[in-house]
This record gives sequence, structure tokens and C-alpha cells, in this order.
Amino acid sequence: MHDLRPVVLSLLIAFAATASADERIAFNRDIRPILSDKCFACHGPDKNHRQAELRLDTRDGARADRDGSIAVVPGKPDESALVERITHADADLRMPPAEARKDLTPAEIDLLRRWIAAGAVYEDHWAYVPPKRPDLPAVAQRGWAANEIDLFLLEKLEAAKLAPAPEADQVTLLRRLHFDLIGLPPTPAEVDAFLADDSPEAWERVVDRLLASPHYGERMAMYWLDLVRYADTVGYHGDQEHHTTLYRDYVIQAFRENKPFDVFTLEQLAGDLLPEPTVDQRIASGYNRLLQTSHEGGVQQKEYLAKYGADRVRNFSAVWLGGTMGCAECHDHKYDPYTQADFYSLIAILADIDDFQTFKGGDTSPTKRLPEIEALSPFDRQRIADIDAEIVALGRQTGEGDAAVETRADVETQIAALRTEREQLEKRVRKQMVTAAIEPRPIRLLPRGDWLDDSGPLMTARTPEFLPGIAAEGRISRLDLARWLTSPEQPQTARVFVNRLWYLLFGKGLSRSLDDFGSQGEVPSHPELLDWLAVEFRERGWDVKHMVKRIVMSSTYRQSSIPSDDHLRLDPQNRLFGRQNRFRLQAEMIRDNALAVSGLLVDRVGGPSARPYQPAGYYAHLNFPTRSYLPDNDDSQYRRGVYVHWQRQYLHPMLRAFDAPSREECTAERIVSNTPTSALTLLNDPTFLEAARVLAVRVLEQTDRDDDGKLAWLWREVLSREATGEELAVLRRLLEANRTEYTERPETAQAFLDVGLAPRPKDYPLPEVAAWSAVCRALLNLNETISRN
Amino acid sequence: MHPDFDAHALSRRTFLGQTSLGLGAAAALSLIDPASIAADSTPLGGLANLPHFAPRAKRVIFLYMSGGPSHLETFDYKPELERLDGQPMPTSFTAGQPIAQLQGQELKCLGPQYKFQRHGESGQEIADILPETAKIADDIAIIRSLHTDQINHDPAHTVMNTGTSISGRPSMGSWITYGLGSESRDLPGFVVLTSVGGRNPQPISSRQWASGFLPSRFQGVEFYSKGDPVHYVRDPAGVTRAQQRQVVDAVSELNRIRQRTVANPELETRIAQLELAFRMQESIPRLMDLSSEPKHVLESYGTTGSDGSFAANCLLARRLAENGVRFIQLYHRGWDHHGDLTRYMETCCRLCDGPTAALVNDLKARDMLKDTLVIWGGEFGRTPMFQGKGQSAGRDHHIKGFSMWLAGGGVKGGVTYGATDELGYHAVENPVHVRDLHATILHQLGIDHRRLSIKAQGLDMRLTGVEPARVVKEILA
Repeated sequence: MHDLRPVVLSLLIAFAATASADERIAFNRDIRPILSDKCFACHGPDKNHRQAELRLDTRDGARADRDGSIAVVPGKPDESALVERITHADADLRMPPAEARKDLTPAEIDLLRRWIAAGAVYEDHWAYVPPKRPDLPAVAQRGWAANEIDLFLLEKLEAAKLAPAPEADQVTLLRRLHFDLIGLPPTPAEVDAFLADDSPEAWERVVDRLLASPHYGERMAMYWLDLVRYADTVGYHGDQEHHTTLYRDYVIQAFRENKPFDVFTLEQLAGDLLPEPTVDQRIASGYNRLLQTSHEGGVQQKEYLAKYGADRVRNFSAVWLGGTMGCAECHDHKYDPYTQADFYSLIAILADIDDFQTFKGGDTSPTKRLPEIEALSPFDRQRIADIDAEIVALGRQTGEGDAAVETRADVETQIAALRTEREQLEKRVRKQMVTAAIEPRPIRLLPRGDWLDDSGPLMTARTPEFLPGIAAEGRISRLDLARWLTSPEQPQTARVFVNRLWYLLFGKGLSRSLDDFGSQGEVPSHPELLDWLAVEFRERGWDVKHMVKRIVMSSTYRQSSIPSDDHLRLDPQNRLFGRQNRFRLQAEMIRDNALAVSGLLVDRVGGPSARPYQPAGYYAHLNFPTRSYLPDNDDSQYRRGVYVHWQRQYLHPMLRAFDAPSREECTAERIVSNTPTSALTLLNDPTFLEAARVLAVRVLEQTDRDDDGKLAWLWREVLSREATGEELAVLRRLLEANRTEYTERPETAQAFLDVGLAPRPKDYPLPEVAAWSAVCRALLNLNETISRN
Repeated sequence: MHPDFDAHALSRRTFLGQTSLGLGAAAALSLIDPASIAADSTPLGGLANLPHFAPRAKRVIFLYMSGGPSHLETFDYKPELERLDGQPMPTSFTAGQPIAQLQGQELKCLGPQYKFQRHGESGQEIADILPETAKIADDIAIIRSLHTDQINHDPAHTVMNTGTSISGRPSMGSWITYGLGSESRDLPGFVVLTSVGGRNPQPISSRQWASGFLPSRFQGVEFYSKGDPVHYVRDPAGVTRAQQRQVVDAVSELNRIRQRTVANPELETRIAQLELAFRMQESIPRLMDLSSEPKHVLESYGTTGSDGSFAANCLLARRLAENGVRFIQLYHRGWDHHGDLTRYMETCCRLCDGPTAALVNDLKARDMLKDTLVIWGGEFGRTPMFQGKGQSAGRDHHIKGFSMWLAGGGVKGGVTYGATDELGYHAVENPVHVRDLHATILHQLGIDHRRLSIKAQGLDMRLTGVEPARVVKEILA
């Protein structure tokens, strides 16, 4: 018999035209996506462009009597003008009009008709209703579920008659967790320890270890910096540097110490407005300054004030609301209830941010982005505090009268060394642009976004009208706004963030549109789970580590990413998460991984930006001033990707080749492309060549192993797992061919080994190092090496 | 005019006709993450429903005169401005208008600095500073009524290339290669070359050729006519071609072994891309080496070889066009003449005028002009008002009316379209907005600008945006 399961499943999990014949039609899942995409542009929220005074985005609008014509008559599709028009025989009268190129499919027409027949029930848009903790679903295979998350997943998998994938093997699991939580591979010793631990708590122990790692902060910062468009340069025109690396350290430290997300939010948007703000809170307020600025001669202040205000609202709405408010700069949103007035009202809240001083920053690099402060990074300050404590403790020892003379001398030496270190640390102050409130600028609504037009009304600071308001005395401030974001009635903030956490741990969100929680975004595949996670997040005090741990402790997370035939047939897109996803590592992690496995990685946390090798002349098109790029000639060369100098106009070619964004605007999801440019980068970028040659020396240091033993050792260093005989044979051939070549022409070996700063190998024959380097290059270029499985 | 022209059939034919395809080349056909892009892409990257109608041009060469060349010294002669030279600029023109560096200054007229003559059978009016362009007057359609929205370089470039000043949108070349794909097996579909000379050059951001929310394989790839032609294209020192081959083969073999376990569709693509990368390591340096060009060709462009000059880049543009590159953009960054206008105009025109005409003539001689759309112009024009930077007169940025020209690719030669007012301030007759230019370029490539869209942030994004845009049919053959 024909297998009907694919049909049933696609009905369950596709997101347009989904309700099958006997299923209840759900407005948000089945109807809103159709109305939004096909109708709202002319019959939606934008009052200025609404046609025929008909709006279909609200219940009242759809039922309104317009001169005897009623679009939607509940229960009576044949009396509904909507049905008449979408099925009209005359093409000129049929909706949507042909020129809109938004034809309805027969299935969509059928759904709309049945929805009206069933009473035309409207629901509030899912993302605009505050999440409530849903009941846990009942499932058959309770034993599979490790926690609540699994119940939600299992419910849908069981309905689709699809089994979850088996658990991934231990090595894959450990690598996955390492990349997801700290962005670095496990060491072979860590693999051994995990494999040897067969207690039930083994997994949780690793999870806790990684969550406690300082590198967890770096990994999470990688993503947050994409959202807030962190970069080291101003972006427009001369793309001069500005001072903001302390903000990056703040973000790393915030995740590392698990600063509650509501506090994290508050400090960034309004840290400067807190009573007696700490240095960190002032640094955090640098968030408001991360936008692109121009230092071009001939910038018109009024125009750029408008640009900066709009940029901030775009970013604010993208980061916290999952909103696409950019359109509302010129007109009401076409699909979502954001009005143009909402847009300028939000600018009015942010109107106390001092942009005037930015215009004084000239076209030098770095330019001045006053107000700026000078401060030490949280890491340096912590170290100084530790030193002070150590000195006190040591001083107590010397103070005790019976200490031997040599002990006393020894202690004094130690104290002197600590004092020297402290002095060095004190010198590491860096500048950071921060927010300082000024008298709020009056903000007018700009008709059609035209900054030359002063005819628009003066705006009051407020949140978007369709969302909960803020009850405050006097002007709504950035503090009020930040507190509002994490108030229980705010429907978006928690959902947006946990959906993005899910993306970091599965490669896709529960709603795939990470940056659009509006009508045109995707309804989540598991709305109840998303709500459960959102409520859990809020009720647990916005505890990010808690959420990460909940998710990675689930059976869902631990599934294999290898699809079964059933998975490929029934759920090729993996909408049901009946398996893990496999994806290429992000740009920074590809770099970090090569440095880590070669032994070059310098894992110092925090600090100024790093400058890896870069092709000569790459900055030739920068000017005002002209720029030369000096790669780091110390160990900063080997720091992690999160620290790489982020030149907005000319991002490092390696990062760019692997899809890191320019950070001109918010990036919630990076594209994953697969280009010849990225292949060339892995093959020939000196960073990877140097990593290969340094790794080759480590291979040769395994003097008690023969070639095969060395190859097996090397494989495990890079990929954590054991190689198969077939795989080793491929590498052995490569080794032998290169050994012959380099032995015959040792001068080429010398040429190859000259790449990079790392010391030249002395203890091994050059042809041997070069030949092994070829093998290491092959390993660093493997798809598996740059994949998270 | 070209009923038999079908870019996709052609590209498929070209592709399948290659017998020297290396390992995995068939898979090179799908270059991107299958999850990140609609499944309706055809083999070489174009969309299945494109072109929408028979195209007149297969490819575009955009000679981008960055900085904003003066229309008043090139293609838009204004005798009235000459008469008012040194007089106050009538405020009726400037009141309430955006002003760049001349904010708050006394505005006075600056007459045209060159004589204009009529040229060719068509009698097109062109300034004496462009003697070689004057000789191709009958091949070019001059538009004198361009206007744009942004008065500073960076955002104005972004409008010219992406249709909006907001960062993050795909550039024109990315849209076009996304829509039509590439005809080249081992070159990117969108190539950018930049030369110098003129006033202290304006910076140009890689945003201008970025792919925005389109997959990054559609982004413009910068080629350099000096040094390494493309980043990381050279084999490492101490590694022979044969050794590089061995590494690539070992990687592919190991990837294939792994594939038996993981069945990862992405992996086939990666194998193919590595193979393509290896081929590019040979094909790109070969293409960029001008030593195979006959002496008379080099001389006609005014170059002796790949030296980073605009002349060399024009010749490279022709070679890229011959090799199937879809969109070629040549930046020359010297055109921002706030002061010393005549001195810098002379420099820029000396560097650009001859090679530009040589390129058009060369394309014509090879019968390629008929399906190659050549565009000349910058992000805006310059004020009719005097600016006093430097030793002698200059002009400020100007966005309300400026000139560009188009040639080939189904564009009528020898016509002048649109007009500015008597002082060259506002485009008053048949104004052409940048988005109209975009619509026209797409139209010549067989694309209805209203129908080339991609969903991003919930919107159907288009190069021409949401405002109405018009194909400038009046200049089409």
C-alpha cells in the first residue's frame, strides 16, 4: 500500500497551508502566513497605503461593513467578499492582483474558505502574546526523555511516526559539546577521560566543566557581537578605528560569569543611567555607540543624526524584539503592527545619547568618538585584585616573627614580582567609547524618512503602541526601556533569545526566522517548547547557563546527526529535530581549531584586537587616512578569532571567506556558503600553513612511534577519533610522495618552512618536517575538521 | 533582436562541452549550501525562471568613476552657467537643498572649465577634455538627467550599487549573478578591479560588491592586476603544483571515505569547490597575464602589462568578458574634485579617456559590444557652484542632476537623453533616478526588475526597492 506518511507529515510540519481536511484550522499556523504574504501589503497595518479601506490583519477590519460589502462573514464563505474576490472569474477583479505576483494556490483558497466556514477565528500573533508555561505533553516513550524538552520533541515525532535518532557516539558528542560551548575541540586527553568515565554523571560533568570554562564566554560573545554589530572601525567612508575593545571584554566576562540576561540588557542599553555606575556598567553602555558613523568631510549633521537614530532602532528591534522595524523609518510596517510613529517614538527614547561629539571626530585613525573613558579590562582588574590579596597574604607570613630569614627573603622576592606584574597591568588601560546622557534631542517623525522635512509631529518617547506600555512618571528613559524588555508582560525578549540559543546548539532555530518574529517570519515548529523555554528562562532569573545546560542535557541534543532513510524521506529539512544537525564551523572556530590542534593557540582571555597575517595591500582602498596593516609579531598572532581586528569595510579575508559578517547591521544567522574562495583560504592562508608545519614538529616529537603510529597519533590529535586503515593508507601515500620530493630538493623544504613567525624547527631534518607538514595540511583541509557533527 | 539567445542553454552547453572537467566537477554545479538557497537554482547558479524575456546583453562592464565626476566638465554643457561665472548662485536653485562641504558658505556660480564640441554623426556634445570618448560619440547614449538620494560618497556609492543607503543589501553584480548565474566554469561571476590616479583617492568599501543576504558566492571577487591576482591563489612557497595536487587529492579521497558514513550533501559540494579552487590557481594568473596580448592591443589601451592602471584593467575587463564573467566593475577613484578641478580632471581624463574608448572599440571589433553593456559614471555629479579648496576652483558633491553614459548591449548609440536646468542643478527633463538605471540594466539582461526578488526579513527584497522604477526605453535600440 502506498505510504501516506510523507503526506501527513508534511501537513503537520510545513508552515503554509497546513491543516489537513479533518484538522482544526489554526489561524496563526495556517491563515496568518497566507494573509500576511499575499494580502497585508495592501490590506494590512500600513494605513497610508491601505487599499479600499480594507484591512485583513485584524478581526474588526475583516468584518467591517464597507458599503454593504463584508470581506469576512464568519461561517459564511459564500457571503464573504474575500472569497468572492479571490475566486473571481474575471482576472481583473481577482485578488491578489496579477501585478503583485502573489497568486493564491488552490490549497490556500481552500484553507481560507474553510477558515471562514469554521467561524473565521482570529488569534493574536503568537509572538505578541506573553508566553505562558504550557503543560507537558504526554508521550509514549517516556523512557527516552531526559528532561522536559524531550517531551515536546517526542510528542511531534510520535505523531509523525518518526523515531528519534540514536545517540551519537561518545567522541562525536564530546566534540559537539566542545565546539558548541567553548568553540574549541577537546584535547585527546579530554577525550580519553570522557571515554573512561562510564558513570551516569559523566556527561553532566563535562557540561559543567565547559560552562565554567572562560572560553565559554568567548564562544557566546562571538554570537552576541554579531547581533550588536560590534566592530573595531566606524564603517562609513574612511572606516577609521574607534575605541571599543573593552566592550568586547565586557561581553565575554558577562557570559563567563553568567550575568543574568536582564542585567546584561540593562547595562548595555542604560548602564550609564544607573546610580553611580560602575566601570563595567559604563563600558557596557558602549553598546549604544557601536553603530556605523561617518567622519567624511561634508557630513550634514542633521542628516546623520537621523541616520544614527534609525540605525539604533533597527538594531534594538532586531536584537531584542526579533522585529524588522527598518521599514517603519519611512512608512508603517506592511506586515506587522509597527507604525512609523512607533519607530520615531523609540528614537525619542534613545534621544539622550550624545551624537554631537561624534561629529567632532575627524578622519584620523583611530578617530575620536567622545565621550570615551579609560579603563582596565575586567580581566586585568580581577588579576590586580588577586595580586593584592596575594600580597596581603604573603605580607602576613613575613610579619610573623619566627619566619626564617631565607623564607622571608623568598617571600619578599615573590612580593616584588607581584608588584612588578601589578605595575605592568596598571599600564594596560584602554579607551572605550561610552554613553553619556545629554538633554534629549527633540525628535520629529520624518515624513517618508526625509530628514529635510520638518513638518512631522514631535514625538513622545514610548514603546510600540501594540505592545505593553511603560507606566513611568515623566519621560520614558533608556532605563525604563531596558526594564520593560525583561518584564513578564513583554512577549518577545525571552522567546527571541532562547530561540537563538537553540540555533547555537542545533544549527537552526525552533522558529527558523531568527531575525523576524513578525507575520512574515516562520511560526515555530514547536511553539509550546519555545514558550516553555522562554518562561523557564524568565522564571529562572534570566539564567543563560541554566538554559544552555537544560538544552544540552536533553536526549534531543545528544542524537546522532546521521539521518536514517525515514528521516530523509519524512522530514528532510529536520523540522522535527528527530536528529541533530551537522554544520560547518563558524569562521572564528575554523581558525581556533587549526591553532588549537597545532599547539599554537594562545588562549589568553580578553585584550586588544589581534592582527593575524593578511594579504599585503588588502587595505589599499582605504583612505582618510591611508592604512597599513601590521600583523602581530608576538604571541597575539595566535589568539582566538573572536579577537581578530574587525575592519568593517575590509574584514579579514579568512573570516570573510567563511561567512563572518561585516557587522554593519545585526546578523542573527550567518549564511553558510561553500565557495572556492574558502577552499583557497584553507589551502594557502599562512595561518593554516604555519599551523601545519608546527603540528608536523609535534608529530616528529613522537619519536617512539613509526610512521603508521605517528599517522594514527596525528589523526586523533586533529579529529579526536581513531583513523581507519583505509584513511591512514591515503595519508601514508601523501607522506611518502612528499618525503621523496623534499629529500630530492631540500631547498624547497626550507622555503616551505619559512612561513610564519613560529621558531624554525631545529631538531629534525627539514625534508622530514616539510613532508609531514603536507600531511598536516591535508588534515586541516578535511571537511570533517571544519564540521560540527 | 536575438531570438536564439538563451543564456541558460548556452551556459549549459558551454559547461557540458568541457571535457577536461576534473574530479567532482559535476558537483561544482551546485556551489552553495543547499539549505541556504532556494532549490530552483540551475546548474551554473542562475534561477530557473530567468531570463524573463530575451536579453539584449549577456554581461555588464561598469566603468565606475568613483568620487563623482563633474557633469559640467564632461557631458552637460551649460552656457548660462558660463555667463553667470563668479556671480551669486540664484537661491531659487539651492534653498532647502542638501549641501555637503559648502554648508554655510556663500554660493557662487562656476562656469564650465572646458569647451564643448559636437561629435560624430549624431553630433553629441562632449567636452574637449575627453577627446577619445568624443570619437565613440555615436556608440554611446548619454543620460544627462540622473539623480540620486545621498550626498556623501559612502552612502551614495551604496545607493548606486545596492539601491539603498542602508548597509547589508546585495549589490547589483550580486543580484545579476544570482539571477543569471555565471557562464564561466572556473571564474567568479562578478569581478571587481580598482585603479588609482587623480585627487587623493576616495576610499571604497567592499560593501559595494557584497552579496548582502544573498549567498556569499555571489559576492564580487576582487582581482588585483598587480601582485597576487586573487587572495591565496598562489601555491605556498616550497610547494609545487604536483604537491598541491597531491594534497588536494588526499583531501578529496578522505572526504569521500568519510562520505560513506555521513551521507552529507554538503560534502560533495566541498569536494567540488576544492577542485575548482585548484583549477582557479592556474586559470586566474593565466587570465591576468597580459603578455600574450599583441603589442598593438596593448598600445591601443595604453598599457604595457598588468600594472594596476585603469588602462590595464580595461584590457583585463575585456578578457574577463571573453571568459564568461557576468558582471565586471572597474573602479577609478580619483574623481572627487573639491578644488583644483582642471588639474585633476586632466589627470583623470588622461588615465581614463583613452582606455575607455579603446575598450568600447575593442569590444566592437570582436563583435562583443552588441551583447556587452558598458556603463560609465560615478555615484553623483558636482555642483554648479564654486568650491575654493586647493589652488584653484573646484566643485562640491551634487545629487540632483548628473550625467552617465551607456553603450552596447542593446543601447542606442549617439543619443542624449534627459536634461538638467540651465545651470545644471536639477534634472528637469526626463529625470532618471538610480533605480531607473538599475531597472534598465536588468532589463537589458532579460530581467524584469519587479520579479527578481528574494525574501529577507519578511520582505520581498529587490534591487530597485519599493518605489516605482522605470526602464529608460528611450535609449534602447
